[in-house]
Amino acid sequence: MLVNAELYVKDLPGQLVDSLTPISMVDGNITAVVHDREQIVNQRICVNVTFEVADNKGLDRLKAIWKSKDVMIARMGSVYETHTMEYMLIGKFSAANVEKLLEEASNVVSLESSDVSYSSKNATSTRTAMITAEVLTPEDLEKLDRFFRSACRESGIVYIRGL
Amino acid sequence: MAGFGTVGQGFAEVLALRKDFIKERYGEDARLVCVMDSSTYAADPDGLDPLELVARKKSTGKVGDVRYQDSVEVMKSVEFDLLVEVSPTDVKTGGAGLKSITFALESKKDVITVNKGPLALKFGELVSLARKNRCKFRFEGSVGGAMPIINLCHENLVGEKIASIRGIFNGTCNYILSKMDNGQTFEQALKEAQQMGYAETDPTNDIEGYDSACKAVILANSVFGRDVTFSDVEITGISSITSEAIALAAANNMVIRLIGEVSPTKLEVSPRLIPKGHPLSIAGTLNAAQIVSDLAGPISISGRGAGRKETASAILSDLIAIMDDRKRT
Repeated sequence: MLVNAELYVKDLPGQLVDSLTPISMVDGNITAVVHDREQIVNQRICVNVTFEVADNKGLDRLKAIWKSKDVMIARMGSVYETHTMEYMLIGKFSAANVEKLLEEASNVVSLESSDVSYSSKNATSTRTAMITAEVLTPEDLEKLDRFFRSACRESGIVYIRGL
Repeated sequence: MAGFGTVGQGFAEVLALRKDFIKERYGEDARLVCVMDSSTYAADPDGLDPLELVARKKSTGKVGDVRYQDSVEVMKSVEFDLLVEVSPTDVKTGGAGLKSITFALESKKDVITVNKGPLALKFGELVSLARKNRCKFRFEGSVGGAMPIINLCHENLVGEKIASIRGIFNGTCNYILSKMDNGQTFEQALKEAQQMGYAETDPTNDIEGYDSACKAVILANSVFGRDVTFSDVEITGISSITSEAIALAAANNMVIRLIGEVSPTKLEVSPRLIPKGHPLSIAGTLNAAQIVSDLAGPISISGRGAGRKETASAILSDLIAIMDDRKRT
């Protein structure tokens, strides 16, 4: 299982290594670490670590080791993979049209996140919108593709998607 | 050889250029016994001089002295064992090319073609005919010019399960979109492509994606064993791409390219957003393709998609493959 944890360690030399070594002790595998010295709480510094661990038993052992080493666990959760796709729309539409389109899209698939940027032209002429959408599965991505393709065809909007 | 335009003349030159190589490899010459252009032909059972034919075509506009109406009648009058079919493409009917290829295969002659029309319209029938009559039928130059995509999939990746092929199969569109990356409008870029000789006076086939669609059909049928024709391709061209769209893509570190996508379930030609630095983000008139297979993963290739010598190089590779095959059997 892939886990992300936000830890707070004392601002002393060796504390970062001390907070990460226990992951190896439970046969875990670190995939990412951010040592954020800007984020300080009660004179402790934030360490955001993502790691793989075999099962919940291993995770419980890890939590116990961290507790014994005075490493504070602020937040912990599973990490899941997401799939991102970019869509560009070219045509005569307004920001409200795109908002509505995204709302309809979220009824078709579960959108984890979406972001829209526009070219500077006003709504009376052809304009361009770039949508970045994040979904949970490749199947959702297929559904989203089909939805945008069909909706754009009906509205006479040119639709370009990412790879 | 049926067709003596740019590609035909290029192949004649390449035959002359590789004369010694062929003689050394096979112990005999590849004899050009008959060459047809659109209205005349030249024939000699002892072999024609390829360079003389090119010179004659350049000076008189004709390859031969004898006029003809029907290419099949010409082929009936000549003894030959392989047809190189390089006449102009007709994606609506298959044109004279389809007729010549069909006749050659029915007559149990091997065929090499770069003509997309017959392949996009009648691939299944032509391959079945070739199989039935035990003919070799090769068409490497029909997709990607000098970029060896079909033979790569058939020969080098023969043990792989190919999941998808995505590629830039039209150099003209890529040239236009690359120019738009540099700030030109679509109209300006198209005009420049026409002035440079990359785009036809009527650019519809290129910019509306029809040319790329023909190539997608050839790949779908030949690599994925599908049974599809031109009308099965979902096509969107590049004529609606605006400068604003290009600029917005660039602001997100992307470019727009016309991509053909072929897989066991997809058959599509459309503009796509490509991250800068991706193998398919190339600029200029180059063609490129990314083949994704189960064991090898993604394989990227690129090359000149058109041109006299470049397309002739693909025909030469098909000729050598056929001659190698004949030598083995």
